[in-house]
Amino acid sequence: MSFKSHDQQNFIIKSANDFTNKRISKRTFLRNMGLAGVGLSAFATGMLGGARPFKGNMALAAGETPEDVANFLREAGKPFAGTTIRYTSESTPPTVVLDQLKTEFTELTGINVEIEIVPLEQVLAKATQDVQGQLGTYDIYYLDQAWTASFAQDTIDPRQYYKDKPDLAMPGFDFADFSDALVEGICLYEGKWIGLPFDIPIFTLMYRKDILEKHGLEIPKTYDEFTKSVELITAAEKENGIFGTGLQAKSGHYSLECDWTQAVWGHGGSIFGPDKKFSGNDAEAVEGLKWYMNLLKNSPANSVASTWDGQWQMGASGQIALCQSWAEFFPGWNADDSKVKGLWEMTTPLQGPASLRGRDSVGFGEIPNWGHQGGSSIALSKYSKNADAAWLFLQWACSKDIMTRCTLAGGFAPMRTSSYNDPRIVARKKLEGAGTTRHLDVVLDTINNHMASEPDVAIWAGVANNEIPTELGKLLTGQEYNGDPQACMDQIAKLVDLKVEEADLL
Amino acid sequence: MLAGNASAPVSKGLMLPRWLTSEHPLPWLFPSVAILLVFGLYPVLYSLWLTFFKRNPATRVEKFDPSWNWSKLVADERVWDAVQVTLTYTFTALILQLVLGMLIALLLDCDRKGFGVFRALMTLPLVVPPAVTGMMFLLMYDGSFGVISHTLYDLGIISKDAPLLANHSTALFSVILVDVWQWTPFMVLIMLAGLRALPRDPFEAAAIDGATDIQAFFKLTLPMMSKIIALAVLIRGVDLFRVFDYVKVMTDSGPGTATETLTAYAGTIYFKSANFPYASTIAIFTLLVVLIVANIFIKIFKVRF
Repeated sequence: MSFKSHDQQNFIIKSANDFTNKRISKRTFLRNMGLAGVGLSAFATGMLGGARPFKGNMALAAGETPEDVANFLREAGKPFAGTTIRYTSESTPPTVVLDQLKTEFTELTGINVEIEIVPLEQVLAKATQDVQGQLGTYDIYYLDQAWTASFAQDTIDPRQYYKDKPDLAMPGFDFADFSDALVEGICLYEGKWIGLPFDIPIFTLMYRKDILEKHGLEIPKTYDEFTKSVELITAAEKENGIFGTGLQAKSGHYSLECDWTQAVWGHGGSIFGPDKKFSGNDAEAVEGLKWYMNLLKNSPANSVASTWDGQWQMGASGQIALCQSWAEFFPGWNADDSKVKGLWEMTTPLQGPASLRGRDSVGFGEIPNWGHQGGSSIALSKYSKNADAAWLFLQWACSKDIMTRCTLAGGFAPMRTSSYNDPRIVARKKLEGAGTTRHLDVVLDTINNHMASEPDVAIWAGVANNEIPTELGKLLTGQEYNGDPQACMDQIAKLVDLKVEEADLL
Repeated sequence: MLAGNASAPVSKGLMLPRWLTSEHPLPWLFPSVAILLVFGLYPVLYSLWLTFFKRNPATRVEKFDPSWNWSKLVADERVWDAVQVTLTYTFTALILQLVLGMLIALLLDCDRKGFGVFRALMTLPLVVPPAVTGMMFLLMYDGSFGVISHTLYDLGIISKDAPLLANHSTALFSVILVDVWQWTPFMVLIMLAGLRALPRDPFEAAAIDGATDIQAFFKLTLPMMSKIIALAVLIRGVDLFRVFDYVKVMTDSGPGTATETLTAYAGTIYFKSANFPYASTIAIFTLLVVLIVANIFIKIFKVRF
């Protein structure tokens, strides 16, 4: 049994006891059961398509809304008391925390908030149906960065709404406190903010310092150094159940596409060329894929069945020594009850053997760089029937205080620049166990200096979740292509170019 | 409740409308028919209507183009791969369930003490929702701690480097086994009912003539059970052909497309690409295949409901 399963079982038992002793409501109990289920590998990998792991402690997020904000919400919320606003979201760490904290908002405003937590692909399908029929079923959309272009026309620019509705403008909201890099990578499309930046998982390099020390290895800085270390560790430690690295290479899943994109950029390639043709089959990109295929040989076999959840479990259970993946894994890997507590460290992402491809050499606004970001925004629906009430919630959810408290609960990266210097976060920088924020300086550096972002094009959501990871899966599991990465990428190029053409995007 | 003498005429004040007291079935059938039309026929017709539109994912404009999705379907290699996987899944699972169902039914077809409990236990898998069954087996198949995987490792049947559900040569069969586990009891129940309804005289006569049990089975039981077997095959066959839950939960069509059935592919297009017209086309195509094959089967085997 993995550590995570153990933790979740404890969580289930605690929730059951709380419910029996009437400390929590039936609704909360059911929600907790849902949350617990999210982490079980079967549920996560299958039903929820691999929910992002969250190892938070809600007690650490305890606090009170600042007085000026609370007064504003009490006053501005009065006309909307009793209104219910709805949105659907993936089970991301910030969503999970916000779902717990939202009662504070309801107490202040009387506005109820319902958050449906479903698999990422279902979030996409629900939002697409809503905008297709302009139904307004959801007042807010949770939008993965890969969908920015698809939904740009269906959302209200929050900066404009802030100006247009001065009575509903939260004091000190401070749009400039969202870093330019995050805004550009996550929610900016053709000059419009499609929503507010909400979540920033980003690739960094994480390593087990004890294993590197044991084998006299330096912290790798380049892809080549990483490969050498991974191979050496696998050869030396495989018998002990430890591999050089672990991957989120489940075929047909977006997680595999994320891994692949990182490998392509890292080797000087890109997804699209300036002519808007797929370029993942050129020499640099194929080199990146070859590098990735070699990593697979130095990873636990379950890597090809794992999404981010499975990869998280590999790190938490001490199966892997080096991992270039989502920075938000770090707090959980260093949690108090982790077998590897205090042994993981973080540094900036690897730099490749080739230089990065420039912005003018790629298509559809892609940003090649060393650190893949998988952020999301929350956006006000143009079709909402409760837009004003939803706008109050959006401002509260993305306010400095709430975003900081979300980070305190789970240790994942905040969206607000000011949060990094918040005394509550700074105070935890030296912690090794639960609630540590000692990785956040690296995260901020990666966001500001090394952040890569996928193309902003309306077909991207489909391509990134279907064609690319499915064909890659065939290659990696030996179903097709006979181990030939060039053949696989040529086929993907054919499929993607056809999609671009069909959508009249050339 | 009406009081007084039951044979007394009902007072005029309590008279119900004639159609409500009529013995004609039509008024009573009407709600069912209406529900069927609203929840059954309308979605099918709407899906069919959707198939005639070409959707542009960038603009989300759906343009009337009746042949677009159907031409795309014919040229889509993944559809034909999915047909192959669906047929493999359906026939393999059907044969296993049929054979196992018959064998278990023959074993349970006796009135010895305790067999009633076995018969009751057989129905347990049927009450578990397929998605939950899928999750349960996903845990047992897990490459790190799954009990099935570990047993197979220990027996030297599979390698630790090839997790069952992540290996394209074992994934499909692993999913089929879950279906077999869950639905064989359904076959058992049907077969058992059939066996219980068989007349005893021919078997007694055969026994007097010196026929062995195997001869009696092939010469008497099977021929007499043919109608019920055909019905069971039809019901399960249709159900198997539209399998979705197990594939979605356990493999999400992977690895690659090794377990991608037609319905799973339709789900992928619907959920991941949000191309509703094309997803509907695949779904309608699946429905057409089922209708054609089922009707041919009904004609050939003269299945009567």
